[in-house]
Amino acid sequence: MTNETPIVVVKDICKTFNIPGRPPVHALRNVSNHVAKGEVLVVIGPSGSGKSTFLRALNGLETIDSGSIVIDGVELTAAKANLNLLRQGVGMVFQHFNLFQHKTALENLTMPQTVVLKRSQSEADEIGRRLLDRVGIGDKDDSYPSELSGGQQQRVAIARSLAMNPKVMLFDEATSALDPETVGGVLDLMKELATEGTTMVVVTHEMGFAREAADRVTFMDGGEIIEEGTPDTVFDDPRHERTRSFLSQII
Amino acid sequence: MDWILDFYNYRVVGQYLPEFARGLGSTAWISLLALGISLSVGTIGAIMRMSANPVLWRIAAGYVQAIRSTPLLIQIYLIYFTFPALPLLDRRLDELEGGIIALGLNAGAYMSEIIRAGIESISRGQVEGAQSVGMTYLQRMRHVVLPQAFARVAPPLLGQTAVLIKDSSLVSFIGVFELFGAGLVVLNERLMPNEGFLTVAVCYLVIYTVMLSVTKFAQRRLGGATG
Ligand SMILES: Nc1ncnc2c1ncn2[C@@H]1O[C@H](COP(=O)(O)OP(=O)(O)O)[C@@H](O)[C@H]1O
Ligand SMILES: [Mg+2]
Repeated sequence: MTNETPIVVVKDICKTFNIPGRPPVHALRNVSNHVAKGEVLVVIGPSGSGKSTFLRALNGLETIDSGSIVIDGVELTAAKANLNLLRQGVGMVFQHFNLFQHKTALENLTMPQTVVLKRSQSEADEIGRRLLDRVGIGDKDDSYPSELSGGQQQRVAIARSLAMNPKVMLFDEATSALDPETVGGVLDLMKELATEGTTMVVVTHEMGFAREAADRVTFMDGGEIIEEGTPDTVFDDPRHERTRSFLSQII
Repeated sequence: MDWILDFYNYRVVGQYLPEFARGLGSTAWISLLALGISLSVGTIGAIMRMSANPVLWRIAAGYVQAIRSTPLLIQIYLIYFTFPALPLLDRRLDELEGGIIALGLNAGAYMSEIIRAGIESISRGQVEGAQSVGMTYLQRMRHVVLPQAFARVAPPLLGQTAVLIKDSSLVSFIGVFELFGAGLVVLNERLMPNEGFLTVAVCYLVIYTVMLSVTKFAQRRLGGATG
């Protein structure tokens, strides 16, 4: 949205999964992209097209074979990159939440703050409570993840990421594992974050969300970026046949 | 009711109360310290066993095999007599130290297998959740993986602890006074095996019961609602 250097710069990344006895899977083939400050990039594409691999590469959960990823000026793919330090600035929201099962909702937010950011317990508590309020579950601070609905767990997970003050937030099918009636609420929360200027990369099958919240939509298939543009151009006037057939299947 | 006094003369037991108390205290202490050693050794052993580094995991695997395949009594003798003969220490281990270390190292091998199973049962998602907020390997282990792993395998760890407590009677062979020794005193001085060993057995039961409630408490503390 602005003209500053992008927060995320991805250049020519490749990733091949080699499983012995099976043909190699080219999950990413020369993928390049970038995300500016405050921008919302939505990645769509059929299952197995490499969306998750792309997203996971952005915080080093997946190592890549070649190419480079630079987050806020720091090269993640450099040999000596401090991945743990880098991940503090890159929030990630998973399809299955990955909340700490042995911690309450509030502790899920405070533990990373005290352990990683060395905030004091009282400061972490204050930030934690404010963020639980912010995502709409201020009354659930004492509940364990197993006592919360999927939608509530995903709100905790989003708040856990926000508590680290990330420069960019990654969402990997954040609503795919939710009951239909809780999907809308979580999508609304993500839209609010988007309007507030959060830099986001969102993998989703929710085309309504993409249309409304995205600044830019990237369509991936077979580990490649096939087409990219504003939501209007990609959805209403797709240039590529593969995009068209994907959109016709999903809508 | 005379037959009760014949079978189990509690008045005699009363006379030997100081010995039993000393034995109970000694067994509890020995077990507690050996338990501490075994949990530390077991945790480090489990992490080494899962390491990708072949030197590390082979050392851990060899250690477990060596402990499993030799009798505990021999291990106690080796630690007490043989190990101090190596030019590593500038003094002998006393029998208490030798006994505690041997018990701890022995139980540590079995604990490490249990703890490894616990760690492996923690889902990849828990680790990735911790990675995504920037936690280092040690932070993930300490705050996310190990607490849940210990909570999950608390029952088998308690079982192994019960074995450790019972096995601690073997250190009497190198001259440590503990519960079994207290029973022996009654047998030797009064020729009364029932009064000696029934009392000893009850004391072991008491220790086990205490351990049981400590475990339940720890499990809840570590595991939250899931524990
Ligand atoms: N850990 C892995 N091991 C082997 N193959 C994998 C692994 N992760 C992903 N793949 C393969 O890489 C391709 C892209 O996967 P993914 O990025 O998860 O796709 P998407 O998120 O778009 O559904 C798929 O063919 C998938 O089977
Ligand atoms: Mg995926």
